Amino acid sequence: MQNQTDIAVERQVQQEVRFYPTAHAQKNAAPHTLVQADRVHKSVYTDPEIFELEMDRVFGQAWLYVGHESQVPNTGDYFTTRLGREPVVMLRHSDGAVHVLYNRCPHKGAKIVPDGSGSAGKFLRCLYHGWTFKCDGSLLAVPLRSGYEDTAMDLKDRENGVRKVARVATYRGFVFASLAADGPDLPEFLGGVATSLDNFCDRAPDGEVEVAGGVQRVIQRNNWKIFFENLHDTIHAVATHESSWRAAKEEFESMPEGTQKPFEIVIVDGNGEPLEFWEKLELKGYDGGHGYMEGIFTPPKDPVSLAYVASLEARQGAARADEILRVNRHNTIVYPSCSPHTSFQQIRVIRPLSVDRTLVEIFTFRLKGAPDATFRRALKYTNVINSPSSTVMPDDLEAYNRVQEGLGSDGGDWVSLHRAAGREEALPGGRASNGNSEMPMRNMFRAWAGYMATEPTKHGLLKDAA
Amino acid sequence: MNFTDWQEQQHVTQFLHHEARLLDEHRWAEWMDLFTPDGLYWMPLVRGQTDHLDHASLFCDDALLRSMRVRRLSQVRAYSQQPATRTSHVIGNIALESRAADGCIVYSTFHLLEWRKDAQRAFGGSVLHTLQREGDSFRIRMKRVDLLNCEAPHEALEVFM
Repeated sequence: MQNQTDIAVERQVQQEVRFYPTAHAQKNAAPHTLVQADRVHKSVYTDPEIFELEMDRVFGQAWLYVGHESQVPNTGDYFTTRLGREPVVMLRHSDGAVHVLYNRCPHKGAKIVPDGSGSAGKFLRCLYHGWTFKCDGSLLAVPLRSGYEDTAMDLKDRENGVRKVARVATYRGFVFASLAADGPDLPEFLGGVATSLDNFCDRAPDGEVEVAGGVQRVIQRNNWKIFFENLHDTIHAVATHESSWRAAKEEFESMPEGTQKPFEIVIVDGNGEPLEFWEKLELKGYDGGHGYMEGIFTPPKDPVSLAYVASLEARQGAARADEILRVNRHNTIVYPSCSPHTSFQQIRVIRPLSVDRTLVEIFTFRLKGAPDATFRRALKYTNVINSPSSTVMPDDLEAYNRVQEGLGSDGGDWVSLHRAAGREEALPGGRASNGNSEMPMRNMFRAWAGYMATEPTKHGLLKDAA
Repeated sequence: MNFTDWQEQQHVTQFLHHEARLLDEHRWAEWMDLFTPDGLYWMPLVRGQTDHLDHASLFCDDALLRSMRVRRLSQVRAYSQQPATRTSHVIGNIALESRAADGCIVYSTFHLLEWRKDAQRAFGGSVLHTLQREGDSFRIRMKRVDLLNCEAPHEALEVFM
């Protein structure tokens, strides 16, 4: 875990964030009516007022990925991020527990810890008037304490400490939080994609993973949902990524006969597979908008792979190792906040900035107990596929941006999600389809409409917005 | 440390200016030829990064990845290169960092304007060239580009800086 204090990151993000004043817009327009079984209205991607409602109703209710416990290994370690609109901080308390607090001093409202990550020491100290807090947010001391005697400010009341995010829960080291007091618990929320998080960790010989090797951050000029839909859009690859898969194929063709295909080429030229290849992939969609897609890379049988498999077998036994590695998945969707990639140990965190701008953060993980070469290979995947300098992603970004700009036109009102509609197979808590179906998009919008039809209350049950 | 030999300073300066021009004019094949076969083009992700194997980078292109990137930039259907990225480098503050038997490490700073589609971006930072002497000229064993805002979120970085 590196503790870079990357203030620059959040500074830029804050400049990017443009929240539009809405004055309770759309209350009567019932945005969930913009979603139909096999199409959605373009305004769900382009209307700033709908974006504001999403912040309240989608990001204000769902469990959102905050980070991984390994990012805050010691007491006082912190990591800041944003949940929807809310600047929050994940902190390790002296009792070992991880807390997620609003990054706001209860006195005058200053952000207590600076943006980025680092160590706050044994306690938090606000820069503005020196109020101090324990790492669970409870008040430790204030200057001029006597000034509060016989006033309405009870310094012993936890309510006067740093406010906690309504709900925090951890799944195998992955920390999630919900801004709403009510709703399903985390395992129930994750449903069928919990198995992806399990496999993410099970692939480590020691059964645990840790964040390592830094965080890459990419700004996209598009609505956040366009990115999510693309994660399981199998048929875009051969078209959109022609420049990179063709370059990779040409590169391999230029190599001497009999050369083993380098990893860098394998992970790029795979996008050139014909549509029949993608058709056969298993796609799963679960309630809540989640889902996963079967892996598209068969693990290469080279020394790096073999050494890794040997390390897993040595700790877990051959039968168990085989069982773990059989779970071969490409992107998993944990809606609406992140996308784990289990076989190359990445988690991409999706942070909407405005209706037409999105920040994607790429975290790479080390499999504890695996050879160094395994982690280095994961970083290679990060660098080649997901980094700002990826040779694959720019064509995605271009496509997303052209979609965003095209949807702003009067050339049509609806976006089609018809492909293979009505041909899904029911599963417990979800549905399965063939690889070329637009089931994942329909599945996400089903969840989206559910969120948008309710109004979260921070204290009490969800009530219908009507 | 600085140059004591005026001629050497000229050779290094002209080499760096030539390299910048090849990049600005998209003469990718000639630019790739400036590297040794094991040469690395590296742009760290964080300030002071010491390693590119156990840490992610903004760019970490060996000969294979440089070649794949160049092949991609020249594809007809490189959609994100419609229009192609344009750049203009200004190189300055060239200084000798250290010297070895067969070459030297050279420090320089750069300002770079980049234009594509509807946005002009400004980049800047410092560069360390690890150069291997070849007659009157050099080959690059490592080009390390330390971007001023390396930790910031970036839109796509498609061309070599």
